[in-house]
Amino acid sequence: MGEGIFRQKNGMVAIDIVASCGVMTPDQLLGLARLSEECGVFRIKLTSRQTMVAVLDGNGAGRLVKSLPGLGLKVSPYGNVVRAVKACAGSSALCPRSVGEALELGIEIQDKYIGMEVPKDFKIAVAGCIRGCTDPYCADMGIVATGREVFDVAVGGFGGSSKPIHGEVVARRISRDSVFLLIDHVLDRFRALGEPGEKLGRAIARLGLESFLPPAGLVKEALQAPPDDFVKFLEN
Amino acid sequence: MRYAGPAGVDLEKMAVPLENICSHCDYKGSPGCKEPECLVGFARRVLRYAVQKGLLDVPGASSLIPKGDFKHYYPEALVPALAETCRQCKECRDNHTPDCVVALVRSSVEFTVLSDNIPYPGSVFMYLARIKEQNSDLAALLAVELSKK
Repeated sequence: MGEGIFRQKNGMVAIDIVASCGVMTPDQLLGLARLSEECGVFRIKLTSRQTMVAVLDGNGAGRLVKSLPGLGLKVSPYGNVVRAVKACAGSSALCPRSVGEALELGIEIQDKYIGMEVPKDFKIAVAGCIRGCTDPYCADMGIVATGREVFDVAVGGFGGSSKPIHGEVVARRISRDSVFLLIDHVLDRFRALGEPGEKLGRAIARLGLESFLPPAGLVKEALQAPPDDFVKFLEN
Repeated sequence: MRYAGPAGVDLEKMAVPLENICSHCDYKGSPGCKEPECLVGFARRVLRYAVQKGLLDVPGASSLIPKGDFKHYYPEALVPALAETCRQCKECRDNHTPDCVVALVRSSVEFTVLSDNIPYPGSVFMYLARIKEQNSDLAALLAVELSKK
């Protein structure tokens, strides 16, 4: 597994830093700011994957990398691995339009899968509603909340390309637990069937979506119980 | 749960055509009038609940739609209610879920005359096309109703 540390054309070093789907506490932000000053960071750039790239002179890079875990941050894995998860602000605290707790799910998915090896880089996007601010249909795996604990899942999207493709929905209105079972299944199939360097979407185009679909019974439809007070209101 | 205010959905306006359906119902005011078991009665209760709570969706409520209501309904009486849900969806521009209050009303009214529920396609034109696949007369009536200002 590679690490997101890159020598730049101007001789400086860029370090890709991962937080929890882009969420940081004030302490983390202050800590990173202080550390950046101490390590001689020239600029910090927010990336499209909700990570941060710190650009600095090579001399301070080692210290910066070593100090990140103390702030609850880490260097992003790079190469043919599951990358940092992109999740929208979808949560009851951060987005009034969100229908489910997408951010919390995204963080959990990132914690579980980041850095796992696959035939080609694997990007996951999680959105709290159908608007899809994180472009879930452009990710290898896109998860969209359609209810409080209810999700649709698409696979095989490939947005960053001169020939972009949209992912296809493989499961609708499934439970949170089923989302993890489906990710496990798709990653297993991708490892087994994908050729080295082949994006999931290209593997699906070559082999057919059926090769990646979950077996019957693996994922379960989310059952949402109506609120008790609504049931009482209905009956009285 | 979403709240009714910001999306600009007029729940009271949706209740009016439903009340008209009830006022012409043979069971109105009789012991046989049981709202939770009646598709139109269910829709009215959903609206009352939503107004009272200030909600725009009721998670899981679509599972409680009383699909066992086989009373006869006249399509002419139903189309104003269906049309109003289309207008409100157009105003809302929010997420579509089957447990959205507007969707709950529309699904309940659909079940009075259609055998299958129509997942709202996000456009009135597409919705009319889907209805036409099941009931062309209803689609024609709804198109006329929607053309009224």
